[in-house]
Amino acid sequence: MLTTFRGTRTAHVLLQHIRLAHRIRGKAPIYCRTIKDRIDEINYKDELYTSRIDIGLPKTKNETRNARLSRLEHLKNLKADQKLEQLARNFELQIDLDETKKDWLQTCGPKQKKQVADHYAIFEHLYGEGYFIPYLNLEVLYDLKDGSYLPVYTGNVIKPAEALEYPAVNYESDADSLWTLALTSLDGHLTENDKEYVHWLVANIPGNSVEKGDTIVEYMQPFPLKGTGYHRYVFVLYKQNGPLSYNIKKVTSTSVLRDRTFVTRDWYKQYQDNITPAGLAFYQSHWDNTVRDFFHSVLHRKEPVYEYDFPKPYIRPQEWFPRRKPFNIYMDKYRDPKEINKEYLLRKLKTEDPFKMPPPPLKFPNAQPLPKNMPSWLKLHEKKIRLRWGRVNDV
Amino acid sequence: MNYLRPFTVQIVSRNNSTASNVFVNRNPRNLERIRIARKPDGYHLDKPGRKFWHKLSLTSSNRTVTAQVVHYINGPVIEAKTSEWALRKQLYSIKDTSAYINLGRVFAQRCLESGISEIYCDIKPVEGGKVDRFLKEVVNGGIKLEEPETYKKPSPWDRYRPEKPWEVAEE
Repeated sequence: MLTTFRGTRTAHVLLQHIRLAHRIRGKAPIYCRTIKDRIDEINYKDELYTSRIDIGLPKTKNETRNARLSRLEHLKNLKADQKLEQLARNFELQIDLDETKKDWLQTCGPKQKKQVADHYAIFEHLYGEGYFIPYLNLEVLYDLKDGSYLPVYTGNVIKPAEALEYPAVNYESDADSLWTLALTSLDGHLTENDKEYVHWLVANIPGNSVEKGDTIVEYMQPFPLKGTGYHRYVFVLYKQNGPLSYNIKKVTSTSVLRDRTFVTRDWYKQYQDNITPAGLAFYQSHWDNTVRDFFHSVLHRKEPVYEYDFPKPYIRPQEWFPRRKPFNIYMDKYRDPKEINKEYLLRKLKTEDPFKMPPPPLKFPNAQPLPKNMPSWLKLHEKKIRLRWGRVNDV
Repeated sequence: MNYLRPFTVQIVSRNNSTASNVFVNRNPRNLERIRIARKPDGYHLDKPGRKFWHKLSLTSSNRTVTAQVVHYINGPVIEAKTSEWALRKQLYSIKDTSAYINLGRVFAQRCLESGISEIYCDIKPVEGGKVDRFLKEVVNGGIKLEEPETYKKPSPWDRYRPEKPWEVAEE
C-alpha cells in the first residue's frame, strides 16, 4: 500500500490519518470519493433537463438616479436623527413590520418568493421547465367569519375548515387590463398522481374586481386526503393580452370531480401567447373533519384513507439451530403476524365481558405473583403483557 | 429521492373503486413536515453536524448581518439582511444590537409566511449578546429552534409504539 503514497500525489495526503500498521479497507484516500461526491454523482442531471425558462413578465424599471439619491438622503437623515439614535442605543428601536413588508415586496420580495416556491417545487409541477418571478403581489384572504382574515402567503398552513368559501383576492391593477385567476391543487388528484384538480378558475377579470370576471370553474374547498400529509394549493394570476374564451367545459359546484382534472402545463402551453403569469400565492393544507363531510355530502362517496408504506424490516433467513436466541422470540419472527395478533386478541377477549365494567388496571403489575412452576420464559412473557410492552400493543 | 415513496391504501373494507390504490404526494416538504423523511446521517463526528432539514445560519460581515434558513439539499431558502432597503430604511445602524433584534422579528415573520416553523439551530450565543437577543426575537416570533426527531416505524418486536405524528396533528 505504501508504494501508492510515494507517487506524485503524496503531497495531498495527511499521513497522520493513515494507520500504517493496519490494512486500509477500500480505496486509498487519494482515490476514493467522499460521500458528498457520490451523492452528487447520483443526483447529477444533465443541463438539458435542468435549464429553465422564464415565462413571467419582465421587471418594471423603477430604479432611477433620483430614487438612489433620495435613498442616500434618507440614510443621512436617519444618522442625524438623535431620537432614533437614543432608541437604538437603548435597544428600544422597533421597526414597523407592515412598512418593512411593503418595501420588501417592492425590492427583493419577488425573488425570495420565487426561491421559496422552488423549495416547494411549485414551478416544476406547474410548468415543468418554466418559472416566473412574481413581481405582482397577489393578496389572497380567507374570511374566518369572526372578523379576521387568514392570508395566503408562500406555503403557510391553512386548514380545509378555514377555506370552505372562496377568498377575497386583491392586487394592483389598472382598470382596463384583463386577468385570469387559477387555483389548482398539485397533490390532490385521486387517480392520476401527476395531474391536478382545478379548484377555481376565473377568466377575463377586469382590473382587480374578481366578481366581475367569468367564472369558468366554481370554487371548491381543498380536500387533502386522510393520511397523505400536506397538499399544496396554488393561486396563479395571469395577465391577458385581450378578452379570451378558454375552451374548457363550465364546471359548477354540482358537477363530477372528474371534470376538474387539469394539467396547468398543457393548458398554459395552449394559451401561452395570450396569457402571462404575474402573481403567485400558495398554501399547504392537511386533513381535518370537513374533508370527510365534503366526501359524504358533495361527492357522495366513502372517504379514502391512506397510510404511508414503510419499507419492511429485514429479517434474516431462518436457521435450523440458531445459537443464543430466545426460542419464543426467535420463532415469533418467522410466524405470520396476523396469527400472533389473533392469539393476543383471543386472550384479551377471554377476560372481557360486554355487560361488566372492565377491572381496574393493576397498580403494581410486576408485584403480582406468578405460579412457582411456571418456566422463566413464560414469566417474562406474562410480565411483558402486563406492562404492555411489545406485540400486545398491536391488537 | 425519498419523498417519492408511495402512500398505499390502508385496508378499506368497502371498496373504493374510484380512488387509486397508491397515492403519491408530490409535495417535497410533506415528508419533512410529517417527520418521516430522512435527515442526512453519517456525519456525527463532524462539527458542525449536518443532521437537519432546515438550519438557521446567521452570518455577519463588516457591512451587513444575514439570517438564512438553509435546507440540506436546496441550500438557502429564506433570507433576511439588515442591508436590504426594507430594513435599512428604518434602522439607525445596520450592525448594532437593535439591528439584530429587528432582524430577528422580520426573519421570524418570513419563516412563518413560508410555512417553516421549526428550524435546527446550533448557534451557542453569549448570554445577553447580540446573537442571543436575535435568537430570542426569533423564538418570540413563533419559531421553534429545534427540529423534531424522525419517526421510525416500530417493528412488531419493539417494546414501545410511539405516536404517529400525522395522527397527532388531527386532534
